[in-house]
Amino acid sequence: MQVWSPVGAIQGLIDTRTEYDHLFSIYVPIAIGVFVLIVVLVLAAVLIYRRRPPERAARWHEHNPLEGTYAVLLACVAGFLLYLTFTAEHKVDTVANQEHPSVVIRVSASKWEWAFSYPAYGFTVRSGVVGRQPLVVPAGEAVRFEITSLDVIHSFWIPALRYKHDAIPGSTQIATLVFRRGVFPGQCAEFCGLRHADMIFTAQAVSPAAFATWARSRGTAAAP
Amino acid sequence: MTGWLGAVTSTDHKRIGLTLGVCSLFYFLLGGVFALLMRTQLAQSNMQFVSDNSYNELFTMHGSTMIYLFVTPMAIAMAIYLVPLQIGATRLSAPRLCLAGMWTWLCGGLVMQQGWFASGGAGRTGWSSYAPLSNGTNTPGVGQDLWVVGVILAAAGMLVMAACVVATVARRRAPGMSLLRMPVFTWTALVSMLMVVGAFPMLVVVMVLLYIDRHGGHIFTGFEGAIDYQDLFWFFGHPVVYVMFFPYLGAAAEAIAVNAHKRWFGYIAFVASIMAFAALSMAVWSHHMYVTGGVTNQYFAFTSTALLVPAGIEYFDMIGTLIGGSIVLRTSMLFALAFFLQFLIGGLSGIFVASPVLDYQAYGTYIIVAHFHYTLFAGSIFGFFAGVYHWFPKITGAVLRERLGKLQLLVMVVGTNMTFFPMFFLGNDGMPRRVSRYPTHPGWGTLNEIETIGAGVIALGVLTFLINVFVSLRRRVPAGDDPWLGHTLEWATTSPPPPLNFEAPLPPIRSYAPLLDLREAEMDRARRPAEVPAS
Amino acid sequence: MRGGAIPILAWGTILLVLAVGNWVWNDRVVGSGAASAAVLIIYGFGVAVWLARRREALRRGPPEPRTEPESVPQASLAAVGIGVSAGCALFGLAWAKFLLDFGIALFIVSVGRLVLELRAERASRRAARGESERA
Repeated sequence: MQVWSPVGAIQGLIDTRTEYDHLFSIYVPIAIGVFVLIVVLVLAAVLIYRRRPPERAARWHEHNPLEGTYAVLLACVAGFLLYLTFTAEHKVDTVANQEHPSVVIRVSASKWEWAFSYPAYGFTVRSGVVGRQPLVVPAGEAVRFEITSLDVIHSFWIPALRYKHDAIPGSTQIATLVFRRGVFPGQCAEFCGLRHADMIFTAQAVSPAAFATWARSRGTAAAP
Repeated sequence: MTGWLGAVTSTDHKRIGLTLGVCSLFYFLLGGVFALLMRTQLAQSNMQFVSDNSYNELFTMHGSTMIYLFVTPMAIAMAIYLVPLQIGATRLSAPRLCLAGMWTWLCGGLVMQQGWFASGGAGRTGWSSYAPLSNGTNTPGVGQDLWVVGVILAAAGMLVMAACVVATVARRRAPGMSLLRMPVFTWTALVSMLMVVGAFPMLVVVMVLLYIDRHGGHIFTGFEGAIDYQDLFWFFGHPVVYVMFFPYLGAAAEAIAVNAHKRWFGYIAFVASIMAFAALSMAVWSHHMYVTGGVTNQYFAFTSTALLVPAGIEYFDMIGTLIGGSIVLRTSMLFALAFFLQFLIGGLSGIFVASPVLDYQAYGTYIIVAHFHYTLFAGSIFGFFAGVYHWFPKITGAVLRERLGKLQLLVMVVGTNMTFFPMFFLGNDGMPRRVSRYPTHPGWGTLNEIETIGAGVIALGVLTFLINVFVSLRRRVPAGDDPWLGHTLEWATTSPPPPLNFEAPLPPIRSYAPLLDLREAEMDRARRPAEVPAS
Repeated sequence: MRGGAIPILAWGTILLVLAVGNWVWNDRVVGSGAASAAVLIIYGFGVAVWLARRREALRRGPPEPRTEPESVPQASLAAVGIGVSAGCALFGLAWAKFLLDFGIALFIVSVGRLVLELRAERASRRAARGESERA
């Protein structure tokens, strides 16, 4: 059920960055508001009731109807946040993977490198402790990642896309992402041993035409 | 038995609690040293102050030491010491069992730290020690084995001690002390110990399975095995963080109520909410697994976000206690207020990461590191210090210096926020956690440097505390039985309490603040003769 | 003792309600199994407390004063022995067999000592009861 249309959507594709930014723009102001409110209340109470003689301290110590109402209000806030979260999560986890991808990339994580295979073109690029070949993708189109690991749990993370997914041995995890044009660092985000810090890659999102040229030339170079 | 042997074999709950507490404090300092070494490495990009392997040992042992050997056992120590006093009991239930548990825990801590001397090094797969990374193929060596064994022993010891506290609350309340007249701290201790009893067995199970897995058993294999490990581990791993929260919340609540000269507001709602909060904490664990693709994210998002309801009740009660009170800003009060305000940042960031889509960015990054340090350090440890300044006179008979205490608070507030607030930004900008080095990125070097300086400031704050303890015990200012006009029964006995806790008969127990009741009745009696004309 | 089992059983019931939610929505058997195990453990604890005092454990209200003399152990070498032996045995299991053997031996000795301590406590309680009856 699509009740919210993403602002700045990229040709109707689910964009993890946009989903994150939208939720962020609601969660964080609420959090800041709650924090400021509590700080103000505490400071006010402390300033107003300081140095009253103890005999004048109030004896009342409960108001269950008020607390009950407050609990109901809190439950409503939780419900609102959950509605937003479920909507976004459905988009990112389910709807995105139902899109027809323009390219499929197999991500094989191992200690301590990433192997990105382009099955349609027949070549693989690697990044990590072995060196840094870029992960080139077409911008503005759905890119499907099939993520697995050859040894321990790693995590495929591109901070600019606000998205990560674990690479777990014995499974293939699917994520469908959309990139804007640019160069984006990526890093393993699940501790995987000695050189976890070096499991770095760089995603380069270029125009679909440039991507096709690049991929075909890599493919012929890789062909026997 | 007297002397050293008597002290070490004593089944007096005050002795057990004090020994457990002092040992935990020692581990706090050890874990802090690990943190300072880590922060030195991270002060600048691409720095190699320690080797990568050493760094991985350091963050593993920092987390494990702080969680298994400081914050959790300290919470249990406070419960063991204070609960019998607060409920008017002369002793703990099953004190021998509790003493055995403490010694098991003590051995666990020592065994875990033995790993530093092993050839491959100490535990180094993170405090959560995910399989298959932590199995025999990927992390061989006796150091990691000793880590697993250490955790098993520490967990078993804490489990046993917690069960004794629950039994004590069940069986040894003084005449008149019905359940709904138990003090706020006792209730928070009770739900914490219930969580230990309910969740820690799973830790023992998963660590035993991990040990077998490391030695030829093919237990956590494949995708299902990897998820199973996390399922079992986090089933323990989430409740434990609430065990590391509730007793310190209780300590802060007691400090606030006493220093506001007003009983804690909303007692019934509070008890109901912490019971619900504690139970809910055992239903949210897979929010640590959102990015695996192996769990039902929406269900756990639902239970995790629901946590804001009981949490909100607790803040409401805190404010309700302050309003209308007669507030004295002693060190314990200031630490308690700092606990509530700083924990709030941790709690709000927790609601943030309870949302899977937000967690897909935050998980495994410094956002999470910031979140849990705000809850556990900026939160719980400040609550711990509130409890220390509040109850130190009762335990030792001497008050801690107020000026040094306020200096400690100031230094720690500055250091804590310097260290952990920038982490939110670093994580969102792309810095993962558990990295021994980081590349040069605009802003990362500066923020990390600020954090490292902040860690140094925290260390100065802790040093101030140690100086305060030393000075206060050296040049004692006698506390008397009740230096703060306390509300609960521990203040109705000497400081420190005698072996059987209460020598004089207990005051009448008609609410959760019996001493305040007495004082208010006296105030009323003192007022009445002026209002009633002489007959 | 009055009402001692109530908070344990009450909390177990809240856990049960949440465990049901888990069974319905959580796809994983291991997770649901863990939640169910926790419910059983807590209920087990509550039942154990109830068994110790039957009706009293479930009655609401403030506890009555106790009249029976109570024994309060002062120290227990046995307890320390049991705790340390567990540590030695598991340390030995991971590192060196001699420690495992030592741990097992220490455990047996400590259990023996515990039996002596419990007997002595029972004897002193009987003596105190005898005195109070004579008084």
